Amino acid sequence: MSNFKKWLETIRIGWSMVTAYRLNFFLLIIGPALVFYFIKVSLWSAVYTDKDMLINGYSLPQMLHYHAWALIVVLMAQSSNGVNLGEDIRFGRMSKYLIYPFNFWEFHTASFISFQTIQFVIAIFTLALLCFSDLVSLPSFSNLMIAFAYTSLVGIFWFSVQYTTGLLAFWLEETWTMRVMFQLLVNFLSGSIIPISFFPAWAQNYLQYTPFPSLTYTPINLFMGQMQGLHQGLITITISIVAMFFINTYIWRRGLRLFTAAGM
Amino acid sequence: MITTKKLIKKYVSYKKQPGIKGAIKSLWDRSFIEKNAVDAFDLEIGKGEIVGLLGPNGAGKTTLMKMFTGIIVPSSGDLEVLGFNPFDRKKEFRKKIALVMGQKSQLWWDIPAMDSLHLIKAYYEIPTADFNERVAEMAKILNVEELLHVHVRKLSLGERMKLELMASLLHQPEVIFLDEPTIGLDLVAQDAIRNFIKSYHEKYNPTVILTSHYMQDVQSLCSRLVLIMNGEKKFDGDILDFEKILGTDKVVSFNFETSPSDKSAFEKYNAKWDLNGLSVELALPQQELRAFSGYVLEHFDVIDFQTEKLPIERVMKQLMLRPELLNHE
Repeated sequence: MSNFKKWLETIRIGWSMVTAYRLNFFLLIIGPALVFYFIKVSLWSAVYTDKDMLINGYSLPQMLHYHAWALIVVLMAQSSNGVNLGEDIRFGRMSKYLIYPFNFWEFHTASFISFQTIQFVIAIFTLALLCFSDLVSLPSFSNLMIAFAYTSLVGIFWFSVQYTTGLLAFWLEETWTMRVMFQLLVNFLSGSIIPISFFPAWAQNYLQYTPFPSLTYTPINLFMGQMQGLHQGLITITISIVAMFFINTYIWRRGLRLFTAAGM
Repeated sequence: MITTKKLIKKYVSYKKQPGIKGAIKSLWDRSFIEKNAVDAFDLEIGKGEIVGLLGPNGAGKTTLMKMFTGIIVPSSGDLEVLGFNPFDRKKEFRKKIALVMGQKSQLWWDIPAMDSLHLIKAYYEIPTADFNERVAEMAKILNVEELLHVHVRKLSLGERMKLELMASLLHQPEVIFLDEPTIGLDLVAQDAIRNFIKSYHEKYNPTVILTSHYMQDVQSLCSRLVLIMNGEKKFDGDILDFEKILGTDKVVSFNFETSPSDKSAFEKYNAKWDLNGLSVELALPQQELRAFSGYVLEHFDVIDFQTEKLPIERVMKQLMLRPELLNHE
């Protein structure tokens, strides 16, 4: 029970910390998702020269519909991408979490939950705006709930990835470039930039054996009312999160022995 | 409370030649340097002691602190703090210690100090009534009542340090590690911190390990000193014994209205005159201090005189310049 209070208090403080710098919060978290969305809207609007034109079965409204849902998925699932816990390790800031009777992973996971709840509110607000602007149409209530739950699971996957790459700072001087490269690659392969059905058949065939489509393409489809890919996605992402948990535990144990608490 | 036996911490770093050529070469050809930051260190500290850990920069003081608190793992040897192996990092252990780092903030910068204190309250499971009482008491002593609701990033260094101390002591730890708690502070703030630590120790009797380059901190707080140089323990004992490492002579200075015409009486006491001959520093044997001071006051135009305020500072300076002096002890 007392540990639960520690989590609650960290989540509460997390809200204060996130909103302490409003401009920073907008530029780091909401800004990139919105900019990315508007770039995609402009790009596809230019590609579709004719109002009735179809590309791979997608009309322009359908394509914009797809990317509007992609924006919601990114807002909900990739909120932890701005977290750079590698810096905590590199600059020795991690020391305080080794002293307090609340573990490093607990603090960062609670902070993630805190962040995630704010992002969820922002995603709902954005969704309301998109609905109001007729850019998306909502699926049935049950489908919407399934899509939200699934996207939250994708959010946990992304947090696990950020946590693992952050821990590599025990060995690497800088993990930022690696994280950005990975993110770009995943954005492309997961259908965030173009729908996976646009990929060549052989690429689609390979991708179905990877977790990538489950990260963006599947949740977008769920939000669009199509349930295919749900079971495979659930299994793939759950296995990835569990695997990442074991990898993190191993890296933490090894890495902590190398930690020098620089700058203290 | 704290016991170390043959404690060693090794750091490995690699040598890199300067410039682009060196950077490229270091990609495949690296030679490593292994250094014992702490070497075969034996130490025993009892309950309620205030021990000053002294040494030049890079001597190994902070490395010892990091091992004591479980932040880093020793390379070999035995270490026990409060009956725990610190590196096991058991929560029961962490609840009994506190670390104050003068060079690193433990408070969260983006929120008011009070929010950080509430977070710490939850982490250490401090009952609300105790928390309120302790915050009120410490805030009053440290004169920071008005600062509790200010964002930490907006506080001055001195103000922040006082709140850091408060945050570290809220859970009433049994062992407190103070790593340069007064670094960079003005004289008034240094004094406030020292007085607070002193009164806190009198009231709760925790064990305190202090590192500082300010001898005033050590002189006013510690009864026992441990000197560490190049990772090795060079002295461990009473502060009065430390002052006597270089001999028992007392350093006394006299200032004169006019320069004495006959200075011969001073010469045997290793006299160091200033350029104008108006001030002299003498090393007087303890047994001659009273008699010779009386003689000078009676026969010369003395404006004022003083005995050395911080003898340990002189000893430290001498030992840092000439570490070989320790071998003749």
